[in-house]
Amino acid sequence: MNDIDSAIGGSSARSADPGDTLGMRILHNAGWTFIYLGVLTLGFVVHQLFVTTWFAQQAQSELTVEREEQWEETEISEVVVVANPDNPNEPIVVTDPEETPDEGQQARPLILKVESAPELGTAFALIRIPKIERLQDGWNVVHGVRTRDLRNGAGHMPDTALPGQPGNSVISGHRTTFGQPFHELDALDPGDRIEVDTALGTHVYEVRDFRIVKPTDTWVADPREGAWLTLTTCHPKFSARERYVVFAELVFGPNAEAIEVMS
Amino acid sequence: MITRIWRLLPGPLWARIVQAAILVAVFLVALSFFYDWLGKVIIDQGGTVG
Repeated sequence: MNDIDSAIGGSSARSADPGDTLGMRILHNAGWTFIYLGVLTLGFVVHQLFVTTWFAQQAQSELTVEREEQWEETEISEVVVVANPDNPNEPIVVTDPEETPDEGQQARPLILKVESAPELGTAFALIRIPKIERLQDGWNVVHGVRTRDLRNGAGHMPDTALPGQPGNSVISGHRTTFGQPFHELDALDPGDRIEVDTALGTHVYEVRDFRIVKPTDTWVADPREGAWLTLTTCHPKFSARERYVVFAELVFGPNAEAIEVMS
Repeated sequence: MITRIWRLLPGPLWARIVQAAILVAVFLVALSFFYDWLGKVIIDQGGTVG
């Protein structure tokens, strides 16, 4: 055996290696198993942070087309809201626009536009938050919060009011995966604006409050007086242990004035 | 393990390259489904938000 063979551990050297025992082989295989598991885990992180985002961005392009079609097909009805001079807290709502309110109550008739409910899984709105860079151009909102809905866009909770309608409109979105639309939701402060485009037009909300709650705190989706937008996402980042919730109130839009009278 | 699988592939070099490419593609698709499932289990809490 020459010097080079002994230096690299040639076959004769290996067979004589006292470390080449069952214990060493187990250790060797365990080492490789941990390396494979490490690579697999790293792959999972890359998949969650980047691959899911790539898929979500592809889905967004398709949803934009779907949303525009949805807007063309949406049926819009009108409800006449009349301020009640006798009791400002109880406005008169006339569901049939043909119906004429009493003469004395015609001082301030306002129109509340109502759109037909979109089908589950359909993109029907666009949310824009000027303060958050990734949401400056908007992110499509899908009707529904099923796993597959939230993979494509932000999801509107079906049992809550539609954006721009009286009540509490709840929109949920991923924080760290699938395009992470609500990644920087905690950057919002009271007074910041949130814009939601629907078939009716642009509804502008102003942030009033934010909270960190448990996932079981479903009260955040309860109906509210006035017109509110509630955004929810996971908290802290990279965990689903809690929820970060932003409450915003409608301040401008096609229905803002009518809703103010109704509230 | 990878070199062992490569040695097990039959045929000439070009056939082994094609087989290896198919194996890699199948592995990546399977891995993608596995990661998807793992993501649902670990991050998506019952389809609400994550």
